[in-house]
Amino acid sequence: MTVDDWLAALSAELRRRQVDPSGPVGEAAAHLRDSGQSPLSVFGPPAAYALAVVDSLRGATRELRRLPSGEPRLRATKITKRYGRSTVLNGVNLSVHAGEVVAMIGANGCGKSTMLRICAGLTSPDSGHVQMRGTVGFCPQTGGTAEFLTPDEHFMLVGAGRGATRTAARAEGRTAAAALDWPGAAGDAEARHLSGGTRQKLNLVLSQLGDPDVLLLDEPYQGFDNGTYLDFWQQVWHWRDAGKAIVVVTHLLNELDRVDTVLDLTPRSPR
Amino acid sequence: MDRRTQWLRGVLDLCVLGALARGESYGYEIAQRLEAGGLGAIAGGTLYPALLRLERLGLVSIDWRAGSGGPARKYYRLSDEGAATLRSAGADWAVFVGNVNAIMEVP
Amino acid sequence: MKKTLIVAEMALREISRRRGVLILLALLPLAFYFSRRSEAYWQSVRFVSLGIGWTLSTAALFAGNAARGIEPRLRLSGYATHQLYLGRLLALWAIGAALSTPYFLLIRFDLDAVRYSGIALILLLTVVVAAPLGLAVAAVLPRELEGMLVLLTVVAMQMMLNPDKATAHVLPFWFTREIGEYAVTPGAGTDHVLRGLIHAAVTLGIVVAVGASAATVRLRRRRHVSIA
Repeated sequence: MTVDDWLAALSAELRRRQVDPSGPVGEAAAHLRDSGQSPLSVFGPPAAYALAVVDSLRGATRELRRLPSGEPRLRATKITKRYGRSTVLNGVNLSVHAGEVVAMIGANGCGKSTMLRICAGLTSPDSGHVQMRGTVGFCPQTGGTAEFLTPDEHFMLVGAGRGATRTAARAEGRTAAAALDWPGAAGDAEARHLSGGTRQKLNLVLSQLGDPDVLLLDEPYQGFDNGTYLDFWQQVWHWRDAGKAIVVVTHLLNELDRVDTVLDLTPRSPR
Repeated sequence: MDRRTQWLRGVLDLCVLGALARGESYGYEIAQRLEAGGLGAIAGGTLYPALLRLERLGLVSIDWRAGSGGPARKYYRLSDEGAATLRSAGADWAVFVGNVNAIMEVP
Repeated sequence: MKKTLIVAEMALREISRRRGVLILLALLPLAFYFSRRSEAYWQSVRFVSLGIGWTLSTAALFAGNAARGIEPRLRLSGYATHQLYLGRLLALWAIGAALSTPYFLLIRFDLDAVRYSGIALILLLTVVVAAPLGLAVAAVLPRELEGMLVLLTVVAMQMMLNPDKATAHVLPFWFTREIGEYAVTPGAGTDHVLRGLIHAAVTLGIVVAVGASAATVRLRRRRHVSIA
């Protein structure tokens, strides 16, 4: 690879991650000029170096993550769903690989939640097929909890489904809760006494118990304060780095520049 | 990963601060100072992210300067905080090395 | 079995936190019992068993409906539908058994000249049938108000219909009257017990079939998904 090709590739990778490339590229160019060595031996592949730069800039101390590759963990093909006369989903395709985040957007009522439920296997489409590789976790917009059980009891109940012991499931749940700025999950009261936002945190924590390979999240941040909302997205990037395939239904557009793919379900023509 | 690389990972940022204590410098020259100091060749892919981290943490301050007959270079200088960190971390490191030596009974 | 038991344990915890339900479960049959105490013995027995049947099936109705929110998630987490159904049923049976034991003791010490074995059998079969009956109503009628009205109608008809009429046989708790004959009427033969047992068994089979199959359909693994 020539120096110019390498620098151009680095520039493109940085731009893709919303990072101004001029600084890092200029410095790398100067270094290569001074040392006279080949870019691959000094810096490695441009994508990997770009990641290291981005991580340094953003403050993540994580190892270089694997790029999305290989067979998709979730593949939905030609999903069609009709309710009465109106066609809510018309031949929708969706592919999510390990280490990839897909944001599903669209106007209200355009079928985002339905599509997610079909992918999770909770609703049947009129036609189409879903292929899943691995375990799946699903977080609905609301609900998904038992009113009269405490968070700890939820953790144990859901965790036991995947074969976890009580202690392990409780610990996993509490750790996940702390990452969402909910350190008091252990002592908390029954779900019906929790505030709306906290109950949604419970909902989200339950969907990730057992470390599923695919996460389907339907606007799970209802009722979150701003701090928790940011924590939630930090969790999403963290899961991406860990190799999960994630689909987030959202209509809040601020995070879209950091996801890998955006699927817009807004119909092109009026139904 | 061999042992030396592991050791270096732990102290690279401090070594960079140490190199800058001798005066401001730019990337390639810093790498040369480190190599001359006996640390071996430091890959650019490792050095520049480390410099970015130090910059983000405020331990170095930067300055783009027009190079002699070429495009601008990014110069790094130890900040006050960086100097303080180097002193205290350096002291910690000395204690740590002393303890390790004692345990390994390296004369 | 372990998964079924943890479903049962959590269902028990849930019900034990619903104070209102527990109080009703405990005291309503008592009210029924004393409403007829001054009259004929057998009315007392019949009414207390209907009271237990009604409150337990209502508790089952609420338990079944409350579970709907979390059951899809439990399926995704690896539970089989039969574990979810059976676990909930076991919890409700346990509550029913705990509830009826004091009532059996009450009858044991309050009434004489009755066959206690018959009484015990009536209470046992009422518990056995009432729990899956409530779950079946919950499965078919997803809104609690409609479900409560159905159960209320069933119990009211149970009290008012002449048990000899053919239509009365259709009611789920008809066997209480039949076995009651054996328990309170001196000289009554065991053929009553046999008829009562058959009726209870058939009713149990029907309500379990309805509840279990409705749950299976609702929580089925959909055909459009293939898992690798």
